[in-house]
Amino acid sequence: MAQILDVGCGRKKFPGSIGVDISTATQADVICDWTRGMPFKENSFDSVRLIHVIEEVDDIFRVLAEVHRVARPGAGVLIVTPHYTDHASYCSPAHRWHLSSFSFWFFSDKPREYDYYAPAQYRERRVHVEMLSLWKMLGFQFVINRSRRIRRFWEYYVSFVIRGKAVEFELEVIK
Amino acid sequence: MPRILDVGCGQQKYPGSIGIDMNPDTAADVLCHLDRGSLPFRDNAFDEVRATHLIEHVDNIIHTVEEFHRVTRAGGIIVLITPHYTDYTSFRDPTHRWHLNTESFLYFYPGGMHGRDMWYTRKRLREKRLTVKLLRIWRAFGFEFMVNHFRWFRRFWEQYLSFVIRGKVMEFEFEVLK
Repeated sequence: MAQILDVGCGRKKFPGSIGVDISTATQADVICDWTRGMPFKENSFDSVRLIHVIEEVDDIFRVLAEVHRVARPGAGVLIVTPHYTDHASYCSPAHRWHLSSFSFWFFSDKPREYDYYAPAQYRERRVHVEMLSLWKMLGFQFVINRSRRIRRFWEYYVSFVIRGKAVEFELEVIK
Repeated sequence: MPRILDVGCGQQKYPGSIGIDMNPDTAADVLCHLDRGSLPFRDNAFDEVRATHLIEHVDNIIHTVEEFHRVTRAGGIIVLITPHYTDYTSFRDPTHRWHLNTESFLYFYPGGMHGRDMWYTRKRLREKRLTVKLLRIWRAFGFEFMVNHFRWFRRFWEQYLSFVIRGKVMEFEFEVLK
């Protein structure tokens, strides 16, 4: 059976997964400060989920290095986080980072010199932007998720007006 | 006479208050560093705690507001003044660690946020007043009035308009519940 890790699982742990959280008031199987490391062996998981947690950690690079360590080569990593143009990105005083749909590009098609910041390597399998219902209804969500180029145009020119909501990143662990 | 604490008072301390600051070159009565421990005051020592353009600088907002809650008496008030994240001053200062909006303190409200009551904190505040200031041109068009008088409009403005009709500064007045 595929081993799934739900990092910062909270009270809605993904069914069948192993949950990790810092809080005891959760469905976590393992309580630890996972932002500083996790008590698992290398290559333990086939799939890792980080749902609305990455925007709160002190050090995104450290967390993605640790996820990279415990995931097996080729494992899928799902990150869901608010787009920085969504008001929800600013609603919580625990949100330390405001991210765009290109924020994890740093870990994939990166120029060599970025290895200094992000030695862990991932490939972007899929990036999907969710939008507010009005924009979704008008078809903008469909259009900007068609291609990376359109999404890039949206980020540069349009995103402060046609605002994003959540961004879903499906990354693949490269070892 | 009400006992008022001005946290991060700078050189323009609120009249009649006790001022604290980490910088000795200010009007502060007490020097201390908020990010390095607790406020040097007893529980319930103040009727009012004011923090003007301070909360966007601290390391940990939840911890800092909990400290304000501790030193304020039940029924006392906490006033926070801070830039809205769509104002350019929110990003102008590299010591601004947080970019906030009108719903940034929901974790402290009875009921919390997303039903996550008591998730990040057990301290409770009631929003007595919340005023958003907008740039003069938007005020002239009546947007400031709409944002401050209709909660549904404020929400619509936050979600759809605020990057165009941009906010400036927010003033929160909270009642301390104990």
